[in-house]
Amino acid sequence: MKNTLLVAAREFRQIASMRSFWLTLVIMPLSIVIGAIAPQFIEKDEPDRVMVIDRAGGGEARAIAQRLGINDDRDALGDLSRYVQRHHLERADRGAPWAQHDRWYSDADVAQFNASGGVSAAKAKIARVKDNGTPEFKPSKPAYEVVPVPASLQAVPDGALDTALKPVLKPEGKDAKPVDYVILVPAAFGESPVVRLWANRQPSPSFVATVQDVLTRDLRTRFLAGEGVSPAAAQGASAIAPALAISTPPPGGGAKEAMLVRSILPLAAAYLLMISLMLSGSWMLQGTVEERSNKLLETVLACVSPEELMYGKLLGTAGVGLFMIAVWISCGIFAAYATQGAISDFIRPALDPLSSPGTIIAMLYFFVVGYVAIAILFLAIGAMSDSMRDAQGYLMPVILVIILPISVLMQAVLGGNSGGVLLEVLTWVPIWTPFGVLARLGLGIPTWEVIGTGILLAAFTAAEIVLLGRLFRASLLAQGQRPNLSEMISRIRAVEG
Amino acid sequence: MSVLTLERVSKRFDRTKAVDDLSFSVAPGTVFGFLGGNGAGKTTSLRMVLDIIRPTSGRIEVLGRAPGRANAPEIGFLPEERGLYRQMTALDTIGYFGRLKGMTSADAKQEGAALLDRFGLAANSKTTVDKLSKGMAQKVQLATALVNRPRLLILDEPFSGLDPVNQGLLEDEIRRMSAAGSTVVFSTHVMQHAERLCDRLLLLAKGRKRFEGTLDEARAELPARIAVVAKDDPSRLDAVESAEDRGEDGSGWRRWDVRLAPGIPPGDVLEHCVAQQFALRRFEQVHASLHDVFVHIVGAAETAQ
Repeated sequence: MKNTLLVAAREFRQIASMRSFWLTLVIMPLSIVIGAIAPQFIEKDEPDRVMVIDRAGGGEARAIAQRLGINDDRDALGDLSRYVQRHHLERADRGAPWAQHDRWYSDADVAQFNASGGVSAAKAKIARVKDNGTPEFKPSKPAYEVVPVPASLQAVPDGALDTALKPVLKPEGKDAKPVDYVILVPAAFGESPVVRLWANRQPSPSFVATVQDVLTRDLRTRFLAGEGVSPAAAQGASAIAPALAISTPPPGGGAKEAMLVRSILPLAAAYLLMISLMLSGSWMLQGTVEERSNKLLETVLACVSPEELMYGKLLGTAGVGLFMIAVWISCGIFAAYATQGAISDFIRPALDPLSSPGTIIAMLYFFVVGYVAIAILFLAIGAMSDSMRDAQGYLMPVILVIILPISVLMQAVLGGNSGGVLLEVLTWVPIWTPFGVLARLGLGIPTWEVIGTGILLAAFTAAEIVLLGRLFRASLLAQGQRPNLSEMISRIRAVEG
Repeated sequence: MSVLTLERVSKRFDRTKAVDDLSFSVAPGTVFGFLGGNGAGKTTSLRMVLDIIRPTSGRIEVLGRAPGRANAPEIGFLPEERGLYRQMTALDTIGYFGRLKGMTSADAKQEGAALLDRFGLAANSKTTVDKLSKGMAQKVQLATALVNRPRLLILDEPFSGLDPVNQGLLEDEIRRMSAAGSTVVFSTHVMQHAERLCDRLLLLAKGRKRFEGTLDEARAELPARIAVVAKDDPSRLDAVESAEDRGEDGSGWRRWDVRLAPGIPPGDVLEHCVAQQFALRRFEQVHASLHDVFVHIVGAAETAQ
């Protein structure tokens, strides 16, 4: 045992002395942080600018501006509601619309929200009940900004607007702000339903739907009035809308969304297992090839048995892999609790599975045993190869066999599919079991399946240790050509007495 | 009690018999030479002694025990094909092998530092192996074998690839170990080293033992030769098998290379010379070199097969 630990410690130190090891260790959390933050920089920061040239009296322009404003306020109210629901802050004002999450907010709800002071008043109420660990609510920026029509455009005839609007939609100069949408409501609107829209790109469907809704209501009101309905009744009829009661899973808490969030950690474990295995496995392989090509093995084997050497290498490499994972997870936990905003919002709900001992045990078991089951393949390859070039010949097919089904498996889990036939099959094939079980832990995998696959994986790993152990022992001092399959089989079958 | 005993040991690889019915024993404190050409079975035998491979049949006893890693603390081993971990420092390398042989970290480092000092590498103890010259690396390799002050030092072709300075250093270390009471077993096919160092020799050919004994006993395997300066032809003397004329020495006498019949000591011939009033100016026994003995014994064995 002492020799095994000595070999493991040397293996660990050798890998830890490599620059690539430390680079990898830093790059992974860095890329996750960049991945979490980057979208904030990529997302469009400015609202779309909208100009309405209303030549039918100005009522349509006001209605469109009002509707866009209500929609932005509804979005803010919705965001606030999700925030309150996620952090259980309803007690701040149970009567407020943002404390009720059971419906699609109507215009009346938005009006009530605005009348009671909007986001700033709500934040003041929430501040009284929220604890220090709860992040501040940050409303999303308004989607649209209605800009006034410049005097130069007021007098331009409808037919000349195509030319006149060009510099408005695509102005010259770096600092000039373009107008994203220009709507022309002609003087004859009402008699004719024609309205023109210019956009400096493909118009957003939600924007078109909003404009269409506002103008349809007006046309409908005019029509009803023309049919003899009183103006008030006609307006009321146009404004009739269903009160939509909706049920959604609470953020990070229910159904598919909750399961996906809970899957982040197990999925990350499966992904990290794959990454750390590929990296540390190839480092271990390099070490073994170095021992062979540097003619070191005989000296080592005079002091330690091939079994001690093999177990030591596996232990050392598993130590490297687990150290990498520990560092990455520590970075994640640090980021979750030491930072606010995007990173913590992303990570904190994902750490929920760590509150379940069963999940922790399952994750650790499948991680460690899975590590050994696959790392031993790399070890056997190293023992059969005189150079890295030799090793590549075995390595590529093995890596492809391991990785290709895993990427399919992860896609399936990310798609919320936890029980497909393919997933079931992959989960029960020992070489993919660790990835299958880890990936499915968050989505829910039956306990019997976890235990069954766990036992099968242990049996497979034990068989690997015996059979590949023989191959390792027989290959250590073997010389000559790279062994083919029949030579490998004969080495596995040959038991030294 | 012997330090190392092999009894009727054989090792077969598929259809090849690498070692065939080999028996010998090595007494404590001996410098034992294991001689043979390429493919004679030397490395295979030593690997079996170290339990790196197992014999097909026969019995091996090392330091009173069966071969195994339990013996590692008392054995030093320098293989024919040598290498080091390139990214480890010289001192760490020696320390690592010391620890694998059961030493404490402190003892291994202390002994390693002393060895590096003795080999003139004290200033390079913290240098990684990939930055050492080949000669320096060879010294570090030797230090990994000596770090545990072994009772049994096994060296497989230790002189191959060494520069003359390191060959001298290795010879000194072998003598030093022997003087300190350690037993040294080394294989070689360079006869000069064996001639200078070995108390006993074993000649191996095609996996079989062809000779075991002292250097003198090995020389006795060849017929004795005498360098003679005489006026007459010595071939007429009793016990002389042949005499080759090597020419006049400048003063009317002739030089002769005389080969005796097998088993005849040169003293008997001298007696015959006196008894038969055979005039001599010089009578000198010529010792056969180990090289000649090796070629005689191993060459004959290989020709026979």
